[in-house]
Order: sequence, then structure tokens, then C-alpha cells
Amino acid sequence: MMNPGQHIPAVPTRRAVLVGGSAGLAALVLGACKSSTTPGATTGSSAGQNITVYSGRTKTLVDPILQRFTADTGIAVNVRYGDSADLALQLETEGDKSPADVFFSQSPGALGYLSGKGRLRTLPAATLDKVDASLRSSKGEWVGVSGRVRVLVYNTDLVTTADLPASVFDLVDARYKGKVGLAPSNGSFQDFVTSMRQQVGDPKTLEFLRGLKANEAKTFANNTAIVEAVGRGEVQIGLVNHYYNERAKKENPSVKSANYHFPNEDLGNLVLLSGVAPMKSSTNPAAEKLVDYLLGQGAQEYFAKETLEYPLAAGVKPAVDLPPLTSIKAPAEDLNSLGDLATTARLIDQSGIAGG
Amino acid sequence: MADAVAVAATNRRPSRFLVLAGGAVGVVFAIPLFSIVANVVRNGPEGGATALSGSALRPLAASLALAVAVTLSTAVIGTTLAFLTIRTDVPGRRLWRVLCPLPLVIPSYVGASALLAALAPGGLVVSGIEGLGVRGLPDPSGFFGAYFVLTLLSYPYVYLPVSARLSMLNPSLEESARLLGRSPTAVVRSVVFPQIGSSVAAGALLVALYTVSDFGAVQLMRFDTLTRRIYETRLIDRPTSLVLSLVLAMVALLVVVGERRASRRLTTSQVARHKGALRWRLGRWRWPAAAVVAVVVGNAVIGPVSVLGFWAFRAITNDAGLASFDSGFTTLGPPLLNTVMFGLAAAAFTMVMVLPVGYLQARFVSRAGSIVGVLVVTGFAVPGLVVALALTSLVLDTPGLAGLYQTFPLLLLAYSLHFGAQALRSTTVAVTGVPQRLTEAARLLGAGSVRRVLTVELPVMRPTLLAGAGLVMLSTMKELPASLLLAPTGTETLATRIWAASEGMYLGEMGVTSIALLAISGLLTWLLIVRPASA
Repeated sequence: MMNPGQHIPAVPTRRAVLVGGSAGLAALVLGACKSSTTPGATTGSSAGQNITVYSGRTKTLVDPILQRFTADTGIAVNVRYGDSADLALQLETEGDKSPADVFFSQSPGALGYLSGKGRLRTLPAATLDKVDASLRSSKGEWVGVSGRVRVLVYNTDLVTTADLPASVFDLVDARYKGKVGLAPSNGSFQDFVTSMRQQVGDPKTLEFLRGLKANEAKTFANNTAIVEAVGRGEVQIGLVNHYYNERAKKENPSVKSANYHFPNEDLGNLVLLSGVAPMKSSTNPAAEKLVDYLLGQGAQEYFAKETLEYPLAAGVKPAVDLPPLTSIKAPAEDLNSLGDLATTARLIDQSGIAGG
Repeated sequence: MADAVAVAATNRRPSRFLVLAGGAVGVVFAIPLFSIVANVVRNGPEGGATALSGSALRPLAASLALAVAVTLSTAVIGTTLAFLTIRTDVPGRRLWRVLCPLPLVIPSYVGASALLAALAPGGLVVSGIEGLGVRGLPDPSGFFGAYFVLTLLSYPYVYLPVSARLSMLNPSLEESARLLGRSPTAVVRSVVFPQIGSSVAAGALLVALYTVSDFGAVQLMRFDTLTRRIYETRLIDRPTSLVLSLVLAMVALLVVVGERRASRRLTTSQVARHKGALRWRLGRWRWPAAAVVAVVVGNAVIGPVSVLGFWAFRAITNDAGLASFDSGFTTLGPPLLNTVMFGLAAAAFTMVMVLPVGYLQARFVSRAGSIVGVLVVTGFAVPGLVVALALTSLVLDTPGLAGLYQTFPLLLLAYSLHFGAQALRSTTVAVTGVPQRLTEAARLLGAGSVRRVLTVELPVMRPTLLAGAGLVMLSTMKELPASLLLAPTGTETLATRIWAASEGMYLGEMGVTSIALLAISGLLTWLLIVRPASA
């Protein structure tokens, strides 16, 4: 039963509080305006001792090596971090007035998009030749820097190694019904599908995707979500990039998930590139210097040891527990041209695997 | 009842200053919509074909169904919590008042990740209770998962404005009704509810818009909505993505028109300051009422915080994990400061922007006021990415403005364009609520219009305005796309940190940073919204 009771004390008029509050806010705003004109905001294409990078790779992954670049060359690096696709759209919108000198992308898709829009400039042959021709743009506008590899992550309690498939194509078998996790909207999965299209053609690829759907594969938002789901046993196996389970193991050594590499250059064992490109809107010579630096011995060793990725140049070997790059399926040439990505997205859409 | 309610809008003509200010604000708020239309036109009919084919209709229907479900639930939950924590003697109400608005600051993908970690098959909670023999919990994904997460995270859009309104209602009406022998429940139903109707509607509108424009929760819950389609096609099929953005903006327009129709029948009573709103004694219902509040806050705040805390703890106790994320601890200061500064500045700037529009809408019957109002609202419905890109091309393509690009003022403008709707609804309700007799009295005493607003009207509107400013502040503190694209290069916020951690699967760092964001938001909510309202 409710009864009207005592009164909540009234608010006294305190104009002073209001006035003081607004003055404080104004001071904050002014202070903030001032701070925005400090070095962080400089757009660095003029000096040459200064370079602006838009990075679709996260700070944790690339900040250490960019700092080393500054220490080695004296060129200060301003970095804007973001999602690769969003940054590509921003670079396209900025056009000729872009403050960016270099774009560092998590995947070739965003680089291919900008290349198609004529926003990238050609790299010198000396830099391009540091990596295999399959690991760079055929137009010479971007170059692969490091690689992640597609793997099958599996729950070590629920699956024995004998149960694991010999090829990614086996995942449509009845014995994996309802057990597979994948992320159809994720760029890495799409790159994998594009490679499959180039190897076996569109009809077979569509058949494979429909087979996964019929086999009740569960879809997830991204790699992180799949690795977590496998760890807790929601699904037994999942198609992801190798890096995520390495992370999961670091935070939780007793995690119940492990990576499995498909043998024999299987398509499920594809290498995915992160890549870097100088912008056409920039005339800063430091752009080429940075790209070249990232393919040098020191930087390649950094990617091998610190980010646990495949180094692509300078003869550097990957960290111990990864199979050698030669046993891994290289992406087909110009795999990520824009038209290809759109066709891939349409196939995934047609297969019905992404819906819900 | 009827005589306590006055119709505020008149047929008087607004002053020239007000029209100019309102018009200017309208032009600024039209930028995102204009940019989408311009891009769609430039692309030609190409995008329309795929976008409007059958496969796009299903996501549209999904968005609408989700919006209706979430809006109805949050209207009930937000109003109930507001009534219980503001107008009753429910135990722990001071703590609840700080905790209740907080879900607003949890990014939806963080909320969704936490929920999945807890409730998905094999999750922390599920494996716990399965040990006790409980089986067969529903799979928290798809429509149900998205509905659950978005309801829990967006009820504060209703809670904050309704709380503000409830705290300033005239107690004499309720006392009279009581003295005339109405039962307490009848008084609440027939006296209190009609007076808060417009605030509930205003909050519900924001929930509907937030729901249709959310990407994080629907993506993680694998529920295929319009916004998810817009994001997934944004690079690989730009024309389709743009046409779908336009469809989303049209949905927003329909929602706004619908809300205006509905709220035309709702009236806003005019209130001056009173010695205080009435507090109802719940008697033996005190503890059950506390349980209701605790269940909601438990699921919306304490649940996610527990999961985030678990992730942080797990990473800290494993040496390898700690080594990889100690940068998160030592450098949390600058992002924290930026987050607070951006939140406060965006709230203040947005209030200044929308105040003239609020006056125009509340005091005058004018088409201009309605059009500007609709433009302000569409800014909230389109994805933040669209707002950021629209501002990018505007300043870079306009001679003389390029210097503004990626500076703090432009970032503030982006926040205001995106979140102006949250402030506008509260502002309109606040202006409508100012008793005309107060304004008239001040006019007769010779006070100019500026002085009237500053000394007479603002103090009366303060609780409602603060609620609107609070919504903008909390939304800004978790904002991601514009912060990433438009902040001065190298500037980080807690939200951009949380996103980077989640991208790289640094769950521990994600946990620590999210808890820091919630803590600082709680402090600001208490200082700026809860304490002033109950002082």
C-alpha cells in the first residue's frame, strides 16, 4: 500500500552554482581547444621529418615498431588508429586534401578499394621486390608486411586430434554437423572464400557454403567471438586466424582451445596479409622510407616475435610453433580487387549462411 | 486535472533572433542527411536495385520489430525505475539513482560480449548452474539476445528524462486527489502518469532511434538488421550501403512523425519550483520494490561489470597476460581525461545548439520549428560513421574550413550532430514546462528576453535540461566512429581504447578500461545529475 509521505526537500535557488558551473565548463572547452592545436594535431606531409599514418592495425600491434622507426630515422610518426574499412572510406572522402601519407591496413581489401579509386601511389621496385610477387599488389601500389594464417581452432576437451578434418572441404561432412563456428561477415573469412572461388570456381564455392549452412554451422560476429565460443565449448571447432588463440592462451593459460593447421597447402591453411601503401595525395618522401623500413630485418623480426605473425621479407623465420610459410597456401594474385570482394559477398549472401 | 494543464504553444510569431538561430542550427543538423542524399544521387540508380530488392526488406523488418519490442520494454522499465527511485522510499534509492543511468555508457558490443560470456552455452553462468543440474537455458543470440542487451542498455533514455520530470511535479495535485478520496494507485494512474507522458514519449523516441541505429549488439548477437547490412556493405558495395543509410534515415523520419502525432495528445503541465515532489511510502512493498530495481540494475550494470572484472582479474593473475597489457594501466590517464572533457564539452555545446530549437518548438506553432526538430532527430538515427564522413567532406571541400579538420571543435560538432536529439527532447519538454505566468511576470517587471531566460526560466528548467545534457554526456563518452576519425591525431578516449583491446582480443584490458569508463561516468552522473536534482 502506498501513502503520500514526507516531502523531498526543495531545490534552493543557487544561481552562483549555475554561473560557476558554466564558467568551469567554458574554461574546460577553451583548454581543450588549446590542447587540440598542440603537436598531436599537426598534419605532417610538409616537413619531411614528420609523417602521418592511418592505421587499421591496432596500436598494440604496430606502435612499438613505429616508435623504433622514429628512433632509427628521426622521422616523427603521427598515427590515427581505426577500423581498416572505415579509414579507407575516410581516405577516399578526404581525397587530395588527406593529411595521411601512409595507410597501414589490416587486410588487402581496404587497400584494393583505395587502389581502385586511384588513391595510392606506386612503390619503387626495390621495395616491392622484397616480398614475393604473390604477396603484393600487381599494380605495385601496396605491399604485404606480415601475415596471419587461417586455422581451425578446436576445443581440446571435446575433440581429439584424430577427429580433425584433413581438409577444410571436409567441414560439410555429417560428422561435423552443428559443431562448426564461422564468421561470414568478417573480412578474413571473406578473403578465404575469395581464394576458394579462384581455386575451385564460383559454383563449387557456393556449394561448399550451402553445405556449411546445411550442416548447421553456427555464425559469429568475428574471430574473437569464435575463439571464446570454442573455449567454452559452445561449438567444437571454428575457422579463424591463428593469432587469436595465441592471445587467449596468454590471458588464460588453461584455455581449452588450440589451433590446428590443415596439412598439404590446404585452402583452409591460407595466409592473409596486412599491407601498407603510400597515399597519392602525399608528396612526403618519408612515406616510401617507412614502407621500406617495415620490410627490413628489424621490423620483420618484430612481427615474427612480438605479434606472432609471419614475416614476409628479409628471410626472417616465423616464431617456433608455426609451420613454415612455404607449406601455407599463398593467396592468388590480386585476390582482393574490389569486384572480387563484392562477388564474394554476394555468394555468401546467396548461400544464406550469414542470415541470422 | 484539466485546469492544471495549459497549452503552451501560441500563434504569436517568434522573434527574428530565435528564427535565425533556429534556422542556422537546422542547416547544421541537415549536413549528414544532405551528404547521404548527395552521395546517392552521385552514384545514380546503381545502388537502389540491390538495396531495395527483397533481401533488404527482411533486415528492415527485423530493425522495426526490434525497435518496437525494445521501445515498449524500456518505456515500462525506465518509467517504473524512475518512479520507484525518485518518488518512493524504496531502500537504497540514493545508490540506485547513480547506478540506473549507467548502462547508457556501456558500448553495446561490450554489453553483448559480456552477456555472451556469461549466458551463451558453456558460459560462466551457464556452466555454473549446469553444475547444479539446471539445463536448457535459451540461446541468448538472434532477436532475443539483441532485444535483451538493447533493452538493458537503453532504458536510461526513458529513465533520465522521466526522473527529472517526476522530481519537479507539483505535489498539491496529488495531495488534493488523495484528500478527495482517490486510492494511491488511482492517484498515480490518473494524476502522476498524465503529467509524465510527454517525457516517457520523448525517451521512447530516443530508444527507438538508438535501436535502429545500433550495430554492436546486433552484430555480436547475429541478428540481421538494416544497420548491420549498412556496415557490412560499406566498403564492398558502397552504393547499396548509401541507399540503405537513406532508408534508415527515412525510418527515423517516420518514427519522429509518429511520436509527434502520439505526443500531440499528451500535454506537459507547467511547473514552477515547489517545496518538493511528493514521496510515496511503499509500506510492506518496500523490499519487493527494491528487488525489482535490483534485478534490472543487476542485469544491466552489475552483471556486465562482473564479467569485465573477471576478464581483468584473469589477465592480471597470469604473468604473460599482464605483460602484454600493462600499457593499459600506466597510460589510462590521458584517455580518461579526454573522455571526461569531451563528454562535458559536448553536453554543454549541444545544449547551447538546441536551446533555440527547443524554444521554437515549445513556444510557437511554426513549421520551421517542426522541420528543424526532425532534422535534429535524423542525426541520431544515421550511423556515427556517416556523420563523421559528412563533416569530413564538408570542411575539406569548403574553402577556408580545412584548418578545422580533425580538431577539437569539429569533433564537438560531430558529437552534437549525432546526439542533439537526446538534448532536444528534454529541452522542449523543459521549455514547455515553464509557467507562462512566470515569464509574463518577469516581462511586466521589465526584464529583457535574455535576462528572463537566464534568471527566471533556466533555473526552473534546470533538472530537465540536466537530464538531457546527461544523456549527451554519457553517449559522447562511449562514442566510437567519430572519435576515431575526427579527434586530433593521436588523441585517445576510453572508448577507443576499449575498442582497440576488443579488436586484438585483449579481454583483460577491455575489462579494466570498461570498468574505468563506468566508474568515471558514475562519478559524473552523481555530481552533475543526481546531486543537483536532489539537493
